[in-house]
Amino acid sequence: MHKYVIRRLLLAIPVLLLSSLIVFGLMRVMPGDALTALMAESGNVGERELRKLREDLGLGRPYHEQYLIWLWQLVSLNPGYSIFTNEPIAAALGKSIPVTIELATLAMLLGLVIAIPVGVLSATRADKPADYVGRVVAVSGLSLPDFWLGTLVITFAALWLHWIPPLGYASLWESPWRNLQQFLLPAAVLGFRLSAATMRMTRSTVLEVLREDYVRTAWAKGLEGRIVVYKHALKNALIPVVTIVGGQLGTLLAGTVVVETIFALPGMGRLTVEAILFRDYPVVQTNVMLVATTLVTLNLLVDLTYAWLDPRIHYQ
Amino acid sequence: MSTVTARVAPFERQPTATPRRGEALWAVIKRKPLGLASAALLVLLVTTAIFADVLAPYDPLATQPEIRLAPPSRDHPFGTDDIGRDVLSRVVHGSRISLWVGVLAVGIGTGAGMVIGLLCGYCEGRLDLLVQRLMDAIQAIPGLILALAIVSVLKPSTTNAMLAIAIVIIPGNSRIVRGAVLSAKQNRYVEAAQAIGCRHPRIITTHILPNVTAPILIIASIWFGNAILIEATLSFLGLGTQPPTPSWGLMLSSTGRAFMEQAPWLAIFPGLAISLAVLGFNLFGDTLRDAWDPRLRRQG
Repeated sequence: MHKYVIRRLLLAIPVLLLSSLIVFGLMRVMPGDALTALMAESGNVGERELRKLREDLGLGRPYHEQYLIWLWQLVSLNPGYSIFTNEPIAAALGKSIPVTIELATLAMLLGLVIAIPVGVLSATRADKPADYVGRVVAVSGLSLPDFWLGTLVITFAALWLHWIPPLGYASLWESPWRNLQQFLLPAAVLGFRLSAATMRMTRSTVLEVLREDYVRTAWAKGLEGRIVVYKHALKNALIPVVTIVGGQLGTLLAGTVVVETIFALPGMGRLTVEAILFRDYPVVQTNVMLVATTLVTLNLLVDLTYAWLDPRIHYQ
Repeated sequence: MSTVTARVAPFERQPTATPRRGEALWAVIKRKPLGLASAALLVLLVTTAIFADVLAPYDPLATQPEIRLAPPSRDHPFGTDDIGRDVLSRVVHGSRISLWVGVLAVGIGTGAGMVIGLLCGYCEGRLDLLVQRLMDAIQAIPGLILALAIVSVLKPSTTNAMLAIAIVIIPGNSRIVRGAVLSAKQNRYVEAAQAIGCRHPRIITTHILPNVTAPILIIASIWFGNAILIEATLSFLGLGTQPPTPSWGLMLSSTGRAFMEQAPWLAIFPGLAISLAVLGFNLFGDTLRDAWDPRLRRQG
């Protein structure tokens, strides 16, 4: 097991290095350099200031040097400064990462709370009205754009319930109730989208497991239906569900970009979109790399969860 | 040698899968109401896009400030926007952008993914190892974020959004094709073709490619829905189609959100159009899988 983890970690290094090359390369493809484009857009910036900024950012150096310096900055957790706000990127990330982690965790939990019971219900009542309703909800979840759902939820909460989420971000530790009010709707929108694929997977795997011999045996020895489904069938059906949940981490992180923008949450997603809109490329490349590293690490954790869920799986 | 080839070739050319696949698909569409619904949605979308000029009651760009933010009525069934443009006409014309982005992004992404997957699966070895790591590296970045980064570099426009989506599609597709090629290579008839000295291009196109088309078409139809969704999201964030071109995502962000409480129809109809189009492709992907995936066919 330890060997497997070490090997996976070692394999992740070239993948992440290649990702960093792609991100770094992308930011340099821009005609001219990032700064010229930036200054052309913002106007009235003197030649001297431009030269100083270019020097500070190390844009005069050869590409390979710039890349190595950036890589070192990333590894030493000091990824430089934002071009626009002049704030250290690490400080900006320090503020925005907890927001995204909270949103993503809540969304994931809400998604599972919706998906697993509905998926099981759909499977145990296959081809009955409850199943059709569950399946239609699942396919809708995959098809409704989260930015549309978010917009509708905000508007109709205001129109019908005369309620809008409190403005101005409050952290979970400072004001838990206010924080929960701010996070509930965005997490529900994101969770609904995530629940769709999990629900479909739960339905099909539970259906498959319910046909297994040991489930028939459980029925035959007179166990209660609830115990057969939840204790015997569900645990084994969960393994492919974990794969789906793992595969959704990318969707989740991408979803936070949109949802944070709509609900004005100062998370990493919004920081990235703003940086992209202002072409603040040191922030863009750092954020994208951070997301890639997180995904690769989480995927490894998901793989290790299989072994915990299914003792038959042994990694070597 | 030539006689063996002559004997083998007509035998293997016979089961060209197209008519059988067509029949299987038609059977599933007839049998499953959701399959029929998805086919109907797609026909509706394609017809709307092709005949947008005829179907749209007004010019999508023509402004009539005197009737700005008018609610749905007989003259304007979907209402008008903040500068008096007819929302129905804009939604109808928006279908062109969505479909166009879908066709080109999925076409380029699937085409490139197929070529890469075929070469990697067929050649294996160092090339495969290197290209697969590159695909891993692209896949490590979530699709939407990669698309956002690409568009920010290329400048926001419909064409660049389409290119960005195509790049996002390539790794997943190449991996599926590679897997299908690796398993197709195990077949005896491929070994036989190699043994009788068929050239590689012929083996790939005649013996391997037919095994790869079904998974590729299934995944392409699902990607089509995703491509529409990503384009709408990019336009919503201001990084896709630019005003005044009518794109569903842009309609939602530019006026839909600003006037949501005053004029909810500005957001409801474009959003509904995106959802129905994506739903159509998702359900159609499921239908294709039901029809063409032998594993599911046996269960059904």
